[in-house]
Amino acid sequence: MTENQVASSFSFKIFERIKPDEYFRRFIEENVRPDGRALHTFRPTSIRQGAITTANGSAMVRIGGTTVVCGIKAEVAEPRVDRPKDGFLVPNVELSPICSANFRPGPPSEQAQVNAEIINQVLINCDIVDLSELCIDEGKAVWSLYADIVCINYDGNILDASFLALLCALKDLSLPTAEVLPSSIVQANSSMMIKPLKLRRLPISSTFCIFANPKVTLSDPTDSEENLSKETVSIILDTDGKILYVHKSGGAMCDAEMMKSCFSRANERAAELNELIERTSSQ
Amino acid sequence: MTSDLKVVLPGDLISVNNESDESSMNVDDDVPLVRLGPGLTQVQEDIVSMKAGVLKHQDPGNKWWLESNQRRYVAATGESVIGIVVARLAEYYRVDIGGAQAAILPVLAFEGATKKNKPNLVPGTLVYARISLANKDMEPELQCFNPSSGKADGYGELKGGFVIRCSLGLCRRLLNPETPILRFLGEHFPFETAVGMNGRIWVNSENPQYTILLANAVKNSEYLSEAQCKAMVESLIDKL
Amino acid sequence: MKRSDGRTEPSQLRAFAASQSLLNRADGSAKFSFGESTVIASVVGPAEVKIRDEKMDEATVEVIVRPAVGFPSTKDKLLERALRQTVEPTILAGMMPRTLIQIVVQIVQEDGNMLSTAVNAISLAMLDAGLPMNSLAAAVSAIIDQEGNLLLDPNSKELENASSVHTFAFDNTTSYNLLLSHCIGTYSQEQYLDCLDACKHASERVHSFIRTAVEKRIEKEYQQLQSS
Repeated sequence: MTENQVASSFSFKIFERIKPDEYFRRFIEENVRPDGRALHTFRPTSIRQGAITTANGSAMVRIGGTTVVCGIKAEVAEPRVDRPKDGFLVPNVELSPICSANFRPGPPSEQAQVNAEIINQVLINCDIVDLSELCIDEGKAVWSLYADIVCINYDGNILDASFLALLCALKDLSLPTAEVLPSSIVQANSSMMIKPLKLRRLPISSTFCIFANPKVTLSDPTDSEENLSKETVSIILDTDGKILYVHKSGGAMCDAEMMKSCFSRANERAAELNELIERTSSQ
Repeated sequence: MTSDLKVVLPGDLISVNNESDESSMNVDDDVPLVRLGPGLTQVQEDIVSMKAGVLKHQDPGNKWWLESNQRRYVAATGESVIGIVVARLAEYYRVDIGGAQAAILPVLAFEGATKKNKPNLVPGTLVYARISLANKDMEPELQCFNPSSGKADGYGELKGGFVIRCSLGLCRRLLNPETPILRFLGEHFPFETAVGMNGRIWVNSENPQYTILLANAVKNSEYLSEAQCKAMVESLIDKL
Repeated sequence: MKRSDGRTEPSQLRAFAASQSLLNRADGSAKFSFGESTVIASVVGPAEVKIRDEKMDEATVEVIVRPAVGFPSTKDKLLERALRQTVEPTILAGMMPRTLIQIVVQIVQEDGNMLSTAVNAISLAMLDAGLPMNSLAAAVSAIIDQEGNLLLDPNSKELENASSVHTFAFDNTTSYNLLLSHCIGTYSQEQYLDCLDACKHASERVHSFIRTAVEKRIEKEYQQLQSS
């Protein structure tokens, strides 16, 4: 009784600051999250392709309060000797202090580096793009694509947002036709633009976090939810239901059954986003 | 004793009530009283170990604990430690005792110390002190007197001599006055030691040759049996 | 079926090897190998923490990965985070607030499965350091090769021919809870669950190896002391 009286006498804002766990737990027990979502709904997602006109390909993605811009800059480079036909695709994630007070200025944080590395490894290992499509002249010149993924508003789930932004930017990418002249100068013809890269599969990332007490999984965590739960599951699926990447760590609560339910939610999410991407690119 | 050595690892469940031992069972079907020592903890209904070590049991009082060895010191109230003064402030000294944080030694925590008459320790001084307060959330506090008598009882500045570092297990063993290594060394020449539970041992004797010998002998004795200790001490003495 | 390094079974692991307490100045250290893949892990702590990293209610766990050659890259950062998030839940960090547990992983020899080798090395090193823990982690890797075969503990040659690579870590409680799952490639849900199951069984072997290794060391120390 007395506890309730005390609880109602100060505002919920203070309660949230003092006992974030307890504040959150009371929401979860009612099967709702502080932002009004059900446990397994993703936040509203929107995509805008071609957001940056000066880039060769770009996209802006919003997932709830998280906003990410991806711009791709193409440069001509010399190919590696052992892979004379392959171009380069270099993803880079930037989490600067502009997007959240969590981040400090200076060298890229661990989180930024890890996200960039995950994206890089999925691109390399999961047969998503054929880098030989970036060839200008075998052994002489190839396109090197620098994909800068910049977060401008951070509210959790950066992996899903940056992956989606990169995909849409790749779909948006158009390059001038180019050839290597006998004087070994590369000449680009900007009046003839081509879309060189075809995405062989559409990898869609879905992230979940797991709470121990009560034991629930939440789809698409916000920043404050990420801070409260240590255990996260990230699943990247393509639109045919093949799994490309699974990472779960940070706790011991998750079992095979929970993984299965995450897989089916990730599948639904992949179908949903696939449709959204189709709709955006046909516009 | 050695035959039924029970080694446990973290996360192992310890069954403390399996033997229907009269002494450990109370009358009626009450839950018997169990006392847990270092390395064991209770998780809901179970007793779980937290470290790798040897499970020990003492029937009177139904006490269970883990005997394990480590190198990093974690302060516990009442233990004697050897520290190095690292800073001198108005009210207290900061003393490095090898734990996570430096300990605090109030300037008045010495035998007979008053505002006007207190010892002056410069940074670098060795002190033998007792932990008067240890808590995981606070810096440990030290005192240089025995609280039951108010006397120094050997605590205070350690002058001369030499400090060696070793594992916490060796320190615990050296505290036993019957430890073979100290007994054998004592047969050959007189010396002083102070054993800190924090993995530091101070040794001193009338000449540096002996002190070096002492330091080497104690350091090397960790995994030696009694006979091997005797042989080592004798060979070291012969070389003098 | 014959594997490239002479193993006869897809479920066969390479020989384990471990040594403990090999570094003098660390609070705990261990070396662990799966065949040729070897990692040394050292643990220092609980030690003083930088104010910036200080947590009021628990210990800060830091993992640093040093590659066998060259400077650490973003690949090592990914490894660092995966390792930290795997072993952190096994440490009773609440018992050591405002302290630092620093784990350094030095890769000695690389022949596949560095992630799982490092998890096992860290587990052993933490035991040696005497950190309070609620369980122990042990990890095993598996691949699905181009022909769809599931091979446990692949070497680097087999990894070249892999269509997906899976690493799982489990704790040593009776239910063998899943601590880490890091899987990349193209695979189906069934293949994922098959790998999970196979690695779970294999991790029991790693756990029992760790147990024997620690038991042997402690028993040896005890016998030497009491052989008088």
